[in-house]
Formats: sequence, structure tokens, C-alpha cells
Amino acid sequence: MNDTTIGKRPLRQVFWRSFALQGAFNYERMQNIGYAYAMIPVLRKLYKTEQDRAEALQRHLTFFNTTPAVSPAILGISAAMEEQNARDPEGFDKSSINSVKAALMAPLAGVGDSLFWGTFRVIAAGVGISLASQGNILGPILFLLLYNVPHLAARFFGLRLGYKFGAESLERFAAGGLMERAMSIANIIGMMVVGGMVATLLTVETPLIFEMSEATVEVQSILDSIMPGMLPLTVTLIIFWMIRKGFKIAWLTVGVLVAGVLLSAVGIL
Amino acid sequence: MGTALLIGLIAGIGILDERIFGATLFGRPIVLSVLVGLVLGDPIQGVIIGAQLELVWMGLAGIGGSTPPDWVTGGVIGTTLAILSGEGVGIALAIAVPVAVLAQSLGILVRVINLYFANRADRFALRGDFRGVTLMMWIPPILFFFSTSIPAFLATLLGAEVIQGFMDSVPQWIIDGLNVAGGLLPAVGFALLLDMLFSRRTAVFFALGFLIAVYLDIDITGLALVAACLAIILELYMKHNSREESTEASDNLVEGAIDFE
Repeated sequence: MNDTTIGKRPLRQVFWRSFALQGAFNYERMQNIGYAYAMIPVLRKLYKTEQDRAEALQRHLTFFNTTPAVSPAILGISAAMEEQNARDPEGFDKSSINSVKAALMAPLAGVGDSLFWGTFRVIAAGVGISLASQGNILGPILFLLLYNVPHLAARFFGLRLGYKFGAESLERFAAGGLMERAMSIANIIGMMVVGGMVATLLTVETPLIFEMSEATVEVQSILDSIMPGMLPLTVTLIIFWMIRKGFKIAWLTVGVLVAGVLLSAVGIL
Repeated sequence: MGTALLIGLIAGIGILDERIFGATLFGRPIVLSVLVGLVLGDPIQGVIIGAQLELVWMGLAGIGGSTPPDWVTGGVIGTTLAILSGEGVGIALAIAVPVAVLAQSLGILVRVINLYFANRADRFALRGDFRGVTLMMWIPPILFFFSTSIPAFLATLLGAEVIQGFMDSVPQWIIDGLNVAGGLLPAVGFALLLDMLFSRRTAVFFALGFLIAVYLDIDITGLALVAACLAIILELYMKHNSREESTEASDNLVEGAIDFE
């Protein structure tokens, strides 16, 4: 007879194992091995026969890819569903475990990417870099703290809520527009901070000076009197436009490096 | 030799941040460069170089299944050679950027090799073999480790004198130019972030953030807090009301349209 409650210890193991999600990342099924590996403590507890274990492992070795920070929420749901399956192997639709994973990984990656990559990381980097560029060791420390407090909280509570409330909770969360609103808030903050960083952390100045008959005119001070930060803004928008036109990032960075040397050589920058 | 091994170790553990340590971001240049600085006896220079590298690569993230330029190898090698040769931030960027592009191919190679382990894992799964799958899980991180630690080790071992000799032969205008280019490079990072976040609906917030920072002389922490308040106000009050009043109208909005009055 199977023991059909997972209990605390295996769930704690899932939490720690979820950090290794991308350890065996591959181009075919991406985070699949990491996902199966994270589920093993649960599967070991619930299934005792070789056949049950084989089926469960194969289930979790299918394609999986999402933002690492939100993966514990999905793992929690998978754990809850495996538990239901172990309780009622005849009545439970096993394929629903993977359909729920597939249905959740894309929308959660959308929220995860914009919250963690697009907002928390951007804020942490903005604060960290502005200190670090003055040689202040607090920069990297604050960078890690500002990012990881929300990051680790999302991992911890994601797993708990996912397991406790199962798939319905996230569906309700999505249906109520909460997910959309969190993304929208994150997006606004991200955009404002990026705007602020362009203004404060990017220094592009021109040394150009025009000699008139009786006066010298510094181009930079004219630009500043129109609007400070005009050059950094222009450069950023040009590169943004080029990215949208499909220029490869690798070439863009090398191109900017070369352009910088050339523009400096002719005295424009 | 000992130094080179330590630098290799930093690069190897750095790449594992997003592999087995849950992407807590200790593998970002702003952190790794400090560690490199500590090993080389100049942590402050490490902090400063790390800040510049982070600016350049801030927009890079492994989103979806993509493999971005390898900021770990690029950053560690760039920082190491810049500190060892005493040439400063400009040369760090000039080395780090192309190295990151080259090193990217090693990362891609490992992800291709991992297909083999995925295959083996399937066969272990057929027998319900937890230990087999676990083993297939733990070999690839070793490959990832060596994909960055070996280049960093070799560059440290061989690179410092080469770079110094090279720098002595490079004309001054190129060195000046590299410093200017270093100032331009963060624009790529910002443009990449914009690419990730941009929608016509929120474009105005980019402008707002820029203008507040330019005219009100506020730092990024302050700006982020103001932005958070503003975003919450807009979401909680304005948007909610307009939704309740006109659910039908908002259904007609296409993506990118302004839907808060």
C-alpha cells in the first residue's frame, strides 16, 4: 500500500533541489532533467513499485522551460497532483499533471521574466551600480540583497502555495487579472528605472568646440541647455531601434566598441 | 599559477549560479569582478570594473531558451587582465565584450552535449531508476564549470604579459578611444532592457523616469520608490475604475493601446 501523504521533508528537499533546475539544460527539452530531479523526493515517497516510478519519472522528463524563480510554484502544484494520483490511481487522469505544467509554464514565465528579470533585477542593478561605480563595496551587496529578498520569498511561498492550493489557485489568480496587474506594475517601475539609469549612469559627452570670430562655442553646453542627457538618450534610442530591426546583440556590442574608438579619433566624442 | 587557479575557480562557480544555484545573481559581473579584485589584491578596482561591466550586460538574461553572450567568462577575463596590466576600466570592457561573444559558443556546445545526458536519463527513467536520473543531472554542471574555468585559467596564466606588451605597442588614440567606447557600451545594456520591457502603453514611463532623473537630480533608489508608488496608484485606482465602468470598451483595446485614462 502506498503512503499517500508527501509530508514536510520531501517538500523541503524539492525546495532545495529546485535551485538546480537548469543544471542539465539542453536544447531539446531544456529544464526537463532539472524538473524530474526536483520531483524525485516526492515520487520516492509516493510510489514504491518500479512501474509507478518509471511512469512518474517519464512524466517529468518531458519538455519544461520557465523562469527559474517561479518554478517552485509549478513544482508545488505537480506535487499536489502526484499526491492525488497516488491516492486514486484509477480515477485520476495522469495526463492532467503534464497538461497543467504545460499550461502554466508559459504564462508564469511571462510574469516571472517581467517581475524578476525586468523589475527586481533592474532596480537592484540600478542601485548597486550607482554605488559600485564610485568604488563602494555596498554596491554589490545591495545588488544581491535587493534582488534576492523578493526572489527567495517567491521561491519559498510559491512552492507552499502551489502545493497547498493546487492548480485552481493559480487559475483563479490568472482569471482575476491579478497576474496582469502585477506585470503592469512591474512594467511601469522597470521602464521608469531604465529611463532614470539612462539619465544618470550613461555619460556620453562631446568635446566639440566651434571657434567663431570672437567667441568659442562648446557644443555640449548648448545641448545641455536644451535638455541635459540628450546624447545618452539619443544613443540608447538608436541602439534600441537597431535591436528592434533585428541586429544581433553580439555584433552590436562589438560595433559600438569600434564606433566609439572611431568617433573619439575624429574628435566627435 | 595559484592565482590563475583561483580565477578559474571564480569563473567556474560563477557560471553555475544560473545552473545549479538558482540564479541568485552572484554570477553577475557586479559580484564576480569584486571576487576577482580580492584575489588580485585590488578589490576597489574590481568593484568599479564590475559596475561598468554590469551596465553593459544588464540587459542580458537567458530568457526563454536563448543562450546570451557569456558574461561570466568575458567579465572574469576582462577584469583580471585589466587589473593585472593596470590599464583600468576601458581595457576591461575592450577585452570582456569580444571574449563574451567567443565564449558563448562554449556554452552552446555544452547545451548540445547535454542532449546525450537527456537521452540517458530517459533510459534510466524507463526502469524507474532515481539514482540514474540524478547522475545524469549532475554531470552537465561539471561540463559547465569547465567551460568557463578553463578559458579564465588560461587567460590569467598567459594573458597578463601579452596584454601589457600589446598595450605598449598600441597608439594612444586607440586607448583613449576605448575609454570613450566604454562609456557608450552601457547604452547597449539599456537598449536591451528597453527591448524587453517596451510597449507603446508604457513608453511614456521611460520618458518620465528619464526626465525626473535629469531635472530633479534624484538617485535611482529614490526614483524606484517613486515609480513603485506611481505604478500602484495607477493600477489600483485609475485602471480599476475604468474597468468597472466600461468592461466592454476595454475589451476592444488592441495590445499597446492606452487603457488608463
